[in-house]
Amino acid sequence: MAYSDKVVDHYNNPRNVGTLDKSSEEVGTGLVGAPECGDVMRLQIRVNPETQVIEEAKFKTFGCGSAIASSSLATEWVKGKTVSEALEIKNTDIVKELALPPVKIHCSVLAEDAIRAAIGDWKKKNGVAETEAVAAH
Amino acid sequence: MNCTSCQKPMQGSLLVCAACGAVQGDGAAAIDYFQALGVERKFGLNAGDLEREFHRLSRRLHPDRFVRATAEEQQNSLRATALLNDAWRTLRDPVERVEYLLKIEGHAVGEEHAGKGKSAERQPPPDLLEEVFELNMQLEELRMSQKMGETAEASVVADLTAAATRFEAMLQTVDERLAVEGAKWDSGESRAQAASRMIELLDRRRYVRNLVRDVRETLKTAA
Repeated sequence: MAYSDKVVDHYNNPRNVGTLDKSSEEVGTGLVGAPECGDVMRLQIRVNPETQVIEEAKFKTFGCGSAIASSSLATEWVKGKTVSEALEIKNTDIVKELALPPVKIHCSVLAEDAIRAAIGDWKKKNGVAETEAVAAH
Repeated sequence: MNCTSCQKPMQGSLLVCAACGAVQGDGAAAIDYFQALGVERKFGLNAGDLEREFHRLSRRLHPDRFVRATAEEQQNSLRATALLNDAWRTLRDPVERVEYLLKIEGHAVGEEHAGKGKSAERQPPPDLLEEVFELNMQLEELRMSQKMGETAEASVVADLTAAATRFEAMLQTVDERLAVEGAKWDSGESRAQAASRMIELLDRRRYVRNLVRDVRETLKTAA
């Protein structure tokens, strides 16, 4: 199966690979896995407590090219968005952008899950209720 | 189903008639692996019985026995033998048997159900994920140092070896639980629940198995 140019680009030059301080109050960490293929993806965000804007995002993914590209793209997209804006990112957006074939759609689902998990972790740390954050938007 | 040759009802394997010995024709292509081996469709099969049945049928169907038969009979023997071999390879392995049986029962297994349903519900447990992630990090470190031509640090190798052993034990546990759920299914009680548990266990198994394989392979080159 051939990967699209965008997948290859993200795979060869992944954006924002790395680690943020997990123990920081401003950092949310999402760790998700795809049991069918063994991929595991960690996505971290650092949120400005004043503005709720995601100022930094890092990822580390062990998996196929599509999983790496999906998480790389996810970090690019969440950066500069507020937490509630970032929650609006859908896996289908990632599929479109990367032109993922049907068998690789679960990679994009994983990336969306990772965003949600990271934001969920940040909310838990900062005592933000799920509904409150959405309503504040 | 009746024999295509003597018309008597088929007994045991649907590949060959127990009454007249005729190897069945085209229609046999549609039979499943359990029918091919003439065993009940269930998870808990006796390994010894299965093997005996396979050998017995192999001899009966063997193409060497049909060298002087008609072209059609030769064709049937070849087709039936191929199907019998596929059936044997799949059913003798307890895990492959589970996957196969779930599939023919209409369940989506493995990559087929990837990305379907609420993924949060199918997420591996967090502690397992954490461990898998850490292990992958160590694995990457080891591969990096190998690439650079450095000898791997003994502590990393020891950690990975210990992890591989631990994950292998996890596989063992998964296999035992698969057998328990299989037995429940076989007994006919709450089949749907047993099936969905088995699908989960298979996911977990695949996850861990790939990892163990990667670790073992990398350790081999480190040794």
